[in-house]
Amino acid sequence: MGDLAGRVAVVTGGSRGIGRAIAEAYVDAGACVTITGTTQDKGDQAIGEIAKPDDTMFVRADAKVRADCERAIDETVDRFGKVDILVNNAGGASNHAPVADLTDEALDNALRWNLWSTFWSSRHVVKPMIERGWGRIINVSSLEGKVGKPGIAIYVTAKHAVNGLTKSMAQELGTTGVTVNSLCPGAIETDIMQAEGPGAAEAMGITYQQLLDHFAQESAIKRLNSVEEVAAVALLLASDAGSGITGSLISIDGGSSPY
Amino acid sequence: MGKLEGKVACITGGTRSIGRGMADAFLREGARVVVNGRSESKGKQCLAEMDAGDDAAFFAGDASKQADVEGFIDFTIERYGQLDICCLNSGGVVQTAPVAQMTDEEWNLEIDWNLNHVFWGMRRALQHMIPRTSGRIIVTSSVEGKLGKPGIPGYATTKHAVNGLVKAAAREVGTLGITVNSILPGLIETDIVRETGPASAQMMGLPSYEAMLDLFAQESAIKRLNTVEEVAAVAVLLASDVGRNMTGCMFPVDGGTMPY
Repeated sequence: MGDLAGRVAVVTGGSRGIGRAIAEAYVDAGACVTITGTTQDKGDQAIGEIAKPDDTMFVRADAKVRADCERAIDETVDRFGKVDILVNNAGGASNHAPVADLTDEALDNALRWNLWSTFWSSRHVVKPMIERGWGRIINVSSLEGKVGKPGIAIYVTAKHAVNGLTKSMAQELGTTGVTVNSLCPGAIETDIMQAEGPGAAEAMGITYQQLLDHFAQESAIKRLNSVEEVAAVALLLASDAGSGITGSLISIDGGSSPY
Repeated sequence: MGKLEGKVACITGGTRSIGRGMADAFLREGARVVVNGRSESKGKQCLAEMDAGDDAAFFAGDASKQADVEGFIDFTIERYGQLDICCLNSGGVVQTAPVAQMTDEEWNLEIDWNLNHVFWGMRRALQHMIPRTSGRIIVTSSVEGKLGKPGIPGYATTKHAVNGLVKAAAREVGTLGITVNSILPGLIETDIVRETGPASAQMMGLPSYEAMLDLFAQESAIKRLNTVEEVAAVAVLLASDVGRNMTGCMFPVDGGTMPY
């Protein structure tokens, strides 16, 4: 009997990377899990690899689109009856540049991808959680939700904003049985990192390999993180034993963050 | 298969309350555990309740005394041949007071109990862990490790201090397979809080012990105190293999009390 038996979770951006690891940890702990993503093939592949077709579902949904965020939750309720755990994991940023050269579109895109998606999904899911007196909202923020770095201001800004939303929602919902927390992972070489990292590195004036080295070297452990380590914390927060933790920004960064 | 199979843990102040919750959780996950406390009778009672046979042991000692803390670490290594998880959990106040009325005796006791104990235990444990390039140090700090409250200056000072020690040590041993973290619980109604809480409440200018419990509950988002089990679950995570990338971390278990 897993820690999440009878629970239903939605993990946005769950086909690969951190979201996928969280989805797998939740399925292993007995939950039914919906994963979302923009690419049907990757979603189908993920569901096949997890190999628990009765307990998992892929919903093709773009986190940057409100109707998609809300539909993913609605389809989960249709299939599994409710949503107990929302993991706002989808996120990233494109077209990085120093602020002096930033376009409106790059900032808007980053805010939609990280902040608006988290807000839309959380707002849509939270009322039934309050009514049932139990819920978990877990926002996958970043080390960059606590510290700034040159050249990636759009990402830093969006992740800081997510952490602000986490703290306010936690205070609003504190007595309702719904907890709201952020995970702040250090750099992990996920698909999205491989896709967007070279552009971020260029905006920071370094190569992609130098970017990875930079992240490793600023940590105490001098290496990058892994998705399983983030998933273990997401599992703890989602379990009943996590009921006393809310409004927290939990670092999984090998000692990088100063606070 | 438990998450801590084959591991050996030691926990200062482990016969009751938070430390005991950690000990019970570690045993459930397959570790062998040595607990420490001043009272032989509480130690015997603890071992009887845990009913873990050769997998648990007790070491009588005062966490505010260097020889006792170092002796406890040495005892654990001698008893089970290794030390994988060192929980420096003991701590508290005896007769706290606002700074203007604080006695040297109380101040020194709190420094020894809450800060030096952590240093003595961590140093001894690291000397064993560094050659093995493996280990976990888990320090029970507090929300008062980030916040100040009137009337408990020594507690706030020493709990802030251990967080500094944790961050520095984490950087020292980061590449050696050893993590060093603090857990920052909100108030839990433990034995030590029941014993010393009424006096602390008075020094905080509160009308009663219950008013102090209520103050801590009300400053949280969940408007209740925390539980031993909630802290123990985090300790298991930090102690497990999958906790290997969390280091130098101040892990809150405080129902949304701390602003950062």
